[in-house]
Amino acid sequence: MSSEHAADASTTSKPVLETHDLTKRFGELVANDDVNLRVNDGELRAIIGPNGAGKTTLFNMITGALDATEGRVTLDGKDLTALPEEARPHEGIARSFQSNQMFEDETVLENVRVVVQTAQAGSFSLDLWGNGRDLGVTTADEFIELVGLGPIRDTVAKNLSHGDQRRLGMAMALATDPEVLLLDEPTSGMSPAETAETADLIEEIKQEYDLTVVLIEHDMDVVLSISDRITVLNRGSILATGSPEEIQNDQDVQDAYLGGVKEEI
Amino acid sequence: MSEQTDSTKASAVSSPTGWETLSEYKIPIALVLFVIVLRPFMAHEWVSGYGQIATTMLIFMLFVAGFNLLLGFTGVLSFGHAMFFGIGMYAVAIGISKFQAGFVFSAIIGIILAGLLAYGIGRLIIDKGEIYFAMLTIAFGQALHFIVNYNPYGLTEGSDGISQNAVPVWIESYRGAKTVSFMPEMLNDWYFFVAAVFLAGMVILWQIIRSPFGRTLIAIRENEALARAMGVNTSRYKNVSFTMSAMFAALAGVLLEINDSGAVLETFHWTTSGDAVLMSVLGGMNYFAGAIAGAFVWLFAEDYLTGIEVLQLPLSGTEVPVGDVLVFWKFFLGLLFVLIIIRSPREGVWGFARRFWAILAARIKEVRR
Repeated sequence: MSSEHAADASTTSKPVLETHDLTKRFGELVANDDVNLRVNDGELRAIIGPNGAGKTTLFNMITGALDATEGRVTLDGKDLTALPEEARPHEGIARSFQSNQMFEDETVLENVRVVVQTAQAGSFSLDLWGNGRDLGVTTADEFIELVGLGPIRDTVAKNLSHGDQRRLGMAMALATDPEVLLLDEPTSGMSPAETAETADLIEEIKQEYDLTVVLIEHDMDVVLSISDRITVLNRGSILATGSPEEIQNDQDVQDAYLGGVKEEI
Repeated sequence: MSEQTDSTKASAVSSPTGWETLSEYKIPIALVLFVIVLRPFMAHEWVSGYGQIATTMLIFMLFVAGFNLLLGFTGVLSFGHAMFFGIGMYAVAIGISKFQAGFVFSAIIGIILAGLLAYGIGRLIIDKGEIYFAMLTIAFGQALHFIVNYNPYGLTEGSDGISQNAVPVWIESYRGAKTVSFMPEMLNDWYFFVAAVFLAGMVILWQIIRSPFGRTLIAIRENEALARAMGVNTSRYKNVSFTMSAMFAALAGVLLEINDSGAVLETFHWTTSGDAVLMSVLGGMNYFAGAIAGAFVWLFAEDYLTGIEVLQLPLSGTEVPVGDVLVFWKFFLGLLFVLIIIRSPREGVWGFARRFWAILAARIKEVRR
């Protein structure tokens, strides 16, 4: 079922998110070298690669958390490179983090609600009237239900389990009302059952909100089962891009990455 | 018939919402009660026997509460709030004594000046890291201290401060007690004037914190990087919070000018900024009431403990001379401060009182059962 759907989605070939010769250097270290990523509308793209391949650095440059040394990022053809990080969610780029990030002392509801508020009011709004806690609750609840945190919406975020905190991160990313969703290892630290649930959830939200999803993931089962195409990063550069089958059969990839992993195991 | 059922339904719904409204506005209500109770409490012979201290307390509470909008609710540590406090104070002193300007006019000028200065400074340094921001605000504060000490154009009177004709004509002083002459006799005490400004200021602060703007400030306090990634322009929010906080400090400074019958250079010194930080932490910076608790404990300790020479133990009738020990009140306050930092730095005295109250309430419930 899911692979059929995936094939459908990948038939549109309008690029949404593109990077053009994107490069990041930290002194002598080249974290990303001339990365040209082209993600199509409605695609679910996985980015894989060994540790230190520059996957998260790439995300950080796309979201503006890091400035690119060279190159450009475009969304629907619009150049985002000069935009500050806080402006990009309002253009349609949202992300979740590799390590759990949340507003620790606030409830699940308040965590998501404040993001909904920001998405509605813009990156700055001097709204001094009324009770802030009443704003956008209905919308926030929708996302909370979707990721399955409904029963614990009033729990303080820091008291959630690791898996629930990861789901909260996803709900918050969704609450920015994105066009492209960047997920940084959404299943890290999860049990096999939770991992399978999360993979289903990603497909569900992608359909429900008509999203383009870019995913950094180490779990190859997840990657192979849900992604339309896979990009392999190695030492900061794109080694290969293709369908799951193509990537599995690619000799370069096997040598550099998959083969190495198999041998280690 | 249908109308009747509608109206009964409406009343059934409205009675719980009445309670909800009451609980939603419990802080403003508590503030009013607090203001009413504070002076008689302080004036009682068992406490300090001296009601004037209550006025000073309210002024410092407003100063610290404004400061805590920045420290406690935005997570930004400023070590330069003395300058805004001082600007409010000196604006009124200079306005009245040098230009024969009205009090309200001078006060508004002072508050606006403090806001503009804070906004300008914030634009330059609000995104420097935590410790750098704190250090830079000290630097700006001390620069202003230097300028005021230098007595430019004979305006500030340098280290002497401004004490000649520095109080509006409608303030009458008699043996240290001030009255506001344009008010009816029942309400003409200076305390009521301060209490009214305090209440207005605190209710505005409370509204800022609960507003959508304030909720965003709290998100920034909790996780600034995440807030930015979710689309919050953290720099602008922090800077506006800094500006507002400075304006509240200036408002408190305006009141302090009349309270102290003039302006003193000491207000501008960085130690005044330090006092604000300490009172905020002492009271519990996570709480709206923390500033009130902090300023109360601080000033109470300063005024009360240093005033006691002998401690009379009520039952045995023995007298213990404690004056020699209690002159070191800052040491005991420091000790309390250390305990708070070790236990939980964001909770303070107010957080401790809340926890104690929760435990007590649970015990009472148990006993009743």
